[in-house]
Amino acid sequence: MAIVDLKDVTYTYPTTDSPALRNINLQVDEGEFVAVIGPNGAGKSTLCYTLAGFVPHFFKGELTGTVEVAGSESSQSTLHEWVLNVGLAFQNPFNQISGAKYTVFEELAFGLENIGVPRDEMKARVVDVMELTGISDLADRSPYSLSGGQQQRVALASILVMQPKILVLDEPTSQMDPIGTREVFGVIRKMAEQGMTVVLVEHKVEWIAQFADRVVALKDGQVLLEGTPAEVFTSSIVEESGFGISRYTSAARKARELGLWKSHRLPVTLDEAAEGFSQALTPDPPSASLRDASRSPGGTGE
Amino acid sequence: MVENIKKEFSTRTLVLIPIAIAINIAIGELVVRLKLPVYLDSIGTVLVGAIAGPWAGALTGALANLIWGLFNPFAAAFFYVAAVIGLLAGLAGKRGAFEKEAPRWLSVLVGAVFVFSLTMFIFAFTNATTDETGFTTYPSMAELFSSYAPIFIVAILAGGAIGYFLLQRGGYAGIWGLVTGGIAAIISAPTAAYVFGGVTGAGQDLLVAAFRASGAGILASVMAQGAVSDPFDKMLSFMVVWLILRSLPARFKAR
Amino acid sequence: MNAFSMYVARESGLHKLHPLTKGSLTLALLVAGLTLPGDWTGYFLVLFIILPLARWGKVLENLVRTTWSLSWPFVLSVILIQSLFWGKGTPIFELWGISPKVEGARYALISVGRIILVMADFLLFAMTTRPDTLMISLKQVGVPSSIAYIIVTTLQIIPSFQRKALTILDAQRSRGLETEGNLFIRVRAFVPIILPLVLGSLMEVEERAIAIQVRGFNSNRKETSLVEIDDTRRQATVRKLFIIIALLCVVARIAWQLLT
Repeated sequence: MAIVDLKDVTYTYPTTDSPALRNINLQVDEGEFVAVIGPNGAGKSTLCYTLAGFVPHFFKGELTGTVEVAGSESSQSTLHEWVLNVGLAFQNPFNQISGAKYTVFEELAFGLENIGVPRDEMKARVVDVMELTGISDLADRSPYSLSGGQQQRVALASILVMQPKILVLDEPTSQMDPIGTREVFGVIRKMAEQGMTVVLVEHKVEWIAQFADRVVALKDGQVLLEGTPAEVFTSSIVEESGFGISRYTSAARKARELGLWKSHRLPVTLDEAAEGFSQALTPDPPSASLRDASRSPGGTGE
Repeated sequence: MVENIKKEFSTRTLVLIPIAIAINIAIGELVVRLKLPVYLDSIGTVLVGAIAGPWAGALTGALANLIWGLFNPFAAAFFYVAAVIGLLAGLAGKRGAFEKEAPRWLSVLVGAVFVFSLTMFIFAFTNATTDETGFTTYPSMAELFSSYAPIFIVAILAGGAIGYFLLQRGGYAGIWGLVTGGIAAIISAPTAAYVFGGVTGAGQDLLVAAFRASGAGILASVMAQGAVSDPFDKMLSFMVVWLILRSLPARFKAR
Repeated sequence: MNAFSMYVARESGLHKLHPLTKGSLTLALLVAGLTLPGDWTGYFLVLFIILPLARWGKVLENLVRTTWSLSWPFVLSVILIQSLFWGKGTPIFELWGISPKVEGARYALISVGRIILVMADFLLFAMTTRPDTLMISLKQVGVPSSIAYIIVTTLQIIPSFQRKALTILDAQRSRGLETEGNLFIRVRAFVPIILPLVLGSLMEVEERAIAIQVRGFNSNRKETSLVEIDDTRRQATVRKLFIIIALLCVVARIAWQLLT
């Protein structure tokens, strides 16, 4: 069942002339984990804002086409209704901390206070979400005393506590160090496994390849390509554009040029690469390999 | 009218205000660090007025002083002055003072007039004569000018130069700032005089002393001290905000 | 507490009082001190009400120390200036042409009383009340939550702005910006430091506004509160009493002015 349905969406920001999104058609089913990749300026952030309702309600500007997310349609709903269904997180954790609360526990409850959740339910939800995101031990700390990774997890938790139907994440690990990145991805993966619909904009191709159901490649405001991670990351279209390339794929391509790669498919994950390379490095039955080695163009020939 | 007030308080504005107050404090401290002879502690307030409107500016000023008052109650007492500064900044913004470029000659004129008036003001006070009944007579402008002509001419030239270099094309903003500073000096004087005995515990108290020495009453001395420092300070603050807004990419000006 | 705050945490009866009770007391003392006829009311109130309360709140030492450190520039200034530059009056002494006047010194001492009253009164309140608890109690009496948001957020982000300013200062210095020397040099250092600071902060406003709206802020819904503040009927009555006292003081002052 499609929880996101964008039909022919074109959007232009108020002070610019050229559209940030052109004729976007995108459907996401409930429980799907969709990754969005693309170069800078491709419209990835604009897409996130559109899914969360801030385009057009916050930014104004011109929007054509229909945007349906979690049962709300863009022209019929207000931003306030929209945010109940869609959680949005971005790169900079510092900007996502409200500043209005002195402890993490209260910070998480902030959103629930705003929407009028009764006190007992508030406390229960906060405790649950802290466990879910692994930050229970941070409950009494000040949000401003935390590391980047911890802050980002608090930001995620403060959105998850509102129980949105969809989680939209715009490069949540770009400003994290490796530990922070791992922590944040851990939470996202957990949510996806629990059935949350996730739309994630990311550059870390290897991780997406492992966990995403589908990848959408954006360029110049349009959908360049859509498909499974394997399809998208090994496609020549994406390779030509210069983004979305996994190191494993590059390594395998290089090996293929050198005549080492045996499989038809190029790998996008570590496991696939390991399998492919161990295949490549396993010697063939003696007679066949000697003959082949002397004939293949870039052979290892000794 | 209530609608207009409400409109000023969008989420963007509410988010801007704490940032603006923090900017007030950060810049105020920077000025001390750079040992500049000014306060410039209202730049955030003026910024909010300019961007979001008079009511938002007024609220920013009031809250900035009340918050600062948690540390130094002295500041809290003048919250209404800061509110007026924010309000006037908002009015200036509505008239486009922060968007238009003023001609350089205007800045020269503003500077010259300001320094001239100031000099006139100071000399009037120091040359005042008080007779036995306590009645003070202030010399007329013509008398002062003829007695101190060279000084006044230097003042006009210096003022013009200051205007040219400091205000540049922010002349409109500068004028609004001058007026705001003047109003601020007047309305803050009663509190300073009555509640705090006429002093701030800082360097300007010497000015108050000087005015007192010339025979002026307490309230008048405080007002005079304010008149010397406030207009200049606010003129600069408004001009800095003008400069900042010119450097903003167009996207962020869309309200 | 990681925030910009005067709060001093103690286990005391005063701390446990409802924030608005303390607030209305602060207001009553302030109004009384400034409006009641009589020149020495300031000292009286500080000595017989504020200091004992500070003792109860276990912040006496902090209060005295901080009040003095904030007030002494004023005290010094007002005594010197008002005594020495009083104009016509009775001299206290005459030395080297300088003669402080009795009237000036008296005026100065009266002012000192007021200054100390204002300082000690506010500081007592700030030291015994947590800002966020105060904000919650204000919300409960109808102050818009946006005001509460502004105040607490400001307190929490001030330290990071102070740090940002210093970082930019260092960065510009390392790029060759001169910050020491004559006035011109220092003036020219000003804009290259504040422009990045302010512009950078303005860029963040948009993202912060979006992030906070994702959590339902400013949505005109009826809000609930996580934290409950202890209150008693007695305190509620006492609060009303303080407000009445403050009003009576104003009335007394007006009457006194009219009668004399």
